[in-house]
Amino acid sequence: MNHPIDRKLTKSIHVPANIDQIQPVTKSQEYAESIINTIREPLIVLDQDLRVVTVSRSFYEVFQVKPEETVGELIYDLGNKQWDIPKLRKLLETILPEKTTFDNYEVEHDFATIGRRIMLLNARQIQRVLGKERIILLAIKDITERRDIETGLEKVRNELADVKLSQDEAYEYSESIINTVREPLIVLNQDLRVVTASRSFYEVFQVNPTETVGELIYDLGNKQWDIPQLRELLETILPEKTTFDNYEVEHDFAAIGRRIMLLNARQIHRVLGKEHIILLAIEDVTERKDAENGLEKAHEELKTLSIELKRAALAKSEFLANMSHELRTPLNSIIGFSEVLYDETFGPLNPKQKSYVNNVLTSGKHLLLLINQILDMAHVESGKMHLVLSRVSTRNLLCEISMLVENIVSKKHIHMTLDIDEDLPDIEADELKVKEILYNILSNAVKFTPEGGKIDLTARQSGTNIEIQIHDTGIGIASENMSKVFEGFFRVDAPYSRITEGTGLGLPLSKKMVELHGGELTIHSAGLNQGTTVRFSLPTQSSGGGKL
Amino acid sequence: MSKRVLVVDDNRNNRILESDMLQVAGFVVFESETAQNGIDLAFREHPDIIVMDVRLPDMRGTEAAKILRQNDRFRNVPIIFVTASVMSADKQEMIGISNIGFIGKPINTRTFALDIERYLNQNQHAAKSQKAKEST
Repeated sequence: MNHPIDRKLTKSIHVPANIDQIQPVTKSQEYAESIINTIREPLIVLDQDLRVVTVSRSFYEVFQVKPEETVGELIYDLGNKQWDIPKLRKLLETILPEKTTFDNYEVEHDFATIGRRIMLLNARQIQRVLGKERIILLAIKDITERRDIETGLEKVRNELADVKLSQDEAYEYSESIINTVREPLIVLNQDLRVVTASRSFYEVFQVNPTETVGELIYDLGNKQWDIPQLRELLETILPEKTTFDNYEVEHDFAAIGRRIMLLNARQIHRVLGKEHIILLAIEDVTERKDAENGLEKAHEELKTLSIELKRAALAKSEFLANMSHELRTPLNSIIGFSEVLYDETFGPLNPKQKSYVNNVLTSGKHLLLLINQILDMAHVESGKMHLVLSRVSTRNLLCEISMLVENIVSKKHIHMTLDIDEDLPDIEADELKVKEILYNILSNAVKFTPEGGKIDLTARQSGTNIEIQIHDTGIGIASENMSKVFEGFFRVDAPYSRITEGTGLGLPLSKKMVELHGGELTIHSAGLNQGTTVRFSLPTQSSGGGKL
Repeated sequence: MSKRVLVVDDNRNNRILESDMLQVAGFVVFESETAQNGIDLAFREHPDIIVMDVRLPDMRGTEAAKILRQNDRFRNVPIIFVTASVMSADKQEMIGISNIGFIGKPINTRTFALDIERYLNQNQHAAKSQKAKEST
C-alpha cells in the first residue's frame, strides 16, 4: 500500500533545528537588552517590518511613551502617530534598504507631548543569525538645545555687529543674551581675560564670578583651565581663522572630573576701537561621547554574539544531520529484517512469532516517525523548511486521506461524514505537507474516539481561504491541558492512549506546517469526554514559503 | 540471464539485507565492504547496476562513483545511492554524477528490489534508444 506515511519512511528529506538553541537566543536577547538599557541615549530596535522589538529606558523617558504602547507597534504609530514623520519614513524605507548604515540623519519634528525637537538619527541594519530577518538599530540624538544655542550665538553676533545700538545698550543686550543661553558661554577680551561669562558657565564649571571676571582664562579655578588644546585654539588657530566650530577638548577638571567639550569660538570686532572680543561657547559632550562609545561597544558585542550564534546554529545542523544518519543505520536493520521475517520471505512463522516480529516492526516504524517528526519540527523552527508549491485539488486530497483512515474507522464502528463544499476551490500548497497535516488530525480523531463515535469533516471556502474542520465525539481535552497540546510530546492520559500509537508531535507539527502555508490552526474542546474540534485554514493562493 | 548487481555498504547487516532482497528477486549479487574493494570488484565482475552507500570507511560513495565514471566500461552503469544521509544538504555531493538513483534508509524491503529493477530497465531503455538514434 502506498500511503503517505510509508512514503515518508523511505523518501522524506529532513533538516535540522533549534530545540536547545532557544535557550542561547533568549540569553543573548537579555544580554543585548541590558546593553541597550545602559546607554543613556534613546535607542530603538525595530524588526524588518519596522515594528518595535525593544527600546532603551531612556527612550521612554525622553519621548514620554509607555512600554505597553510601544513594543510590537509600528514605529510610525507610536504616541498616537506622533512618529509618522516623512523624513523618518524616507530613512527607513528608502535610504536604509540600500545603505544598511546611516549616520547623522537630521530630522526636525514637532511632537505633541514634548514639543519641537531636532534629532540626529544613526541607523544600523543588522542581519539576524537565523533566517533572513533583519533588525534595525536606531540611535536618537536630541540636538535641539545645541541647535538653539548655535542660533542664539549667531544672533548675538548679528546684534553686536549692529552699530546703531549704543555701547552700553549693546553691552547690556549681549549680556542678557549670554545669560539666557543654557550652554556655558564665556566672553574674552583680546588679552584672553574674561569679560563676562554666562550663568550656566558658573554652574557647570563650579566657579564664581568674583574669581572669574578680569582673570586670564588659563588661570580660572586654580589654573584648571590651563589646557594645551585651549591655548592652541585661542593663540594659534583663532587669530588666523576668526571663527572655529566643534573644536574637541578633553580635560580632567579637579572640581568636576573628566569632561569632553566641543568649543565654538567667534572673534568679534568691537564697535569702537580696534580691539576684538572672543566668544567661546562650550558644549559639554561627555555624556554623548560616552553614549556613543557605549553604543559602539554594544554594537561590537552584538556582532561577536551573532557570529557565535551562527557557529552554534551550524554545529546544531551538523549534529542533527549526524543524529539522523546514526539512528537510521540501525533502524534499517530493525525495520528491514523484521519486515522480511513478517513477510515470511524465507519461510513461515508460527502465529506467536509473527505477532512478535510485527511488534518489532511497528516499534521500529514508530521510532522512525519520531525521528522524522523531530527533524521536521527542528526544521520548521529554524526556518529551514521550505514548501514545494503546486495546485492541489482540495476535494481529491480530502477524499484520499479519509480513505486512509477508512479501515480503522469501520473497524471501530465510527460513523464518519465528509461535508465538502460543492465549489471548494483548489489551493496552492505543498501537497505532501497538506496530506501529512490532514492525516495527523484525522488519525488523532480516529484514535481518540471510542467505538460507535462520530467524526465529521467539513470543508468550505471563507474569503481567500479554505477552512477545514474535523470534529469528533471522542475523549476531548481537559481545559487545563489545552495549552499543552501544542508543546510537543503531550499525550492525552486516557484509556485509549495506551492502545494508540502516537508521537505527541503530530499536532504541533501540523500547526507549524499550516502556519508555514500562511494559515491558522486552532483546537477546541468543551472538556474531557466532550469531543474535540480541530479547525484550520489554508490560503487558496500561497503567500508564505517558497519553492525549493 | 540473471542481472548482476554490486552492493557496497560497510554495515554488515545492511549489506546482508539488501543483497538478500536482491537475490530473492533473481539478481546475482557481489558484495563489498569498502569503496576501493568495490571498484576492484566492479572491474572484475562487470555488474549491470551498482548499489552504493555514501559514508564508506575509505572514501565517499560519490567519489567512488566519479572514479568509476572515468572508465568507459562504467560510463553508463547506473549507480544507486542507498544512504542514511537523507537531509537535503547530503544530496548536494551527488550533483553532477550522471545516471544515478537515490534510496533513503531505512529501505522498504517490499519495494527495494523492484526499485533497483526499475532503475536498470529505465537505463537499458535509454541506452537502446540512444543506440537506435546513433545507427540512423
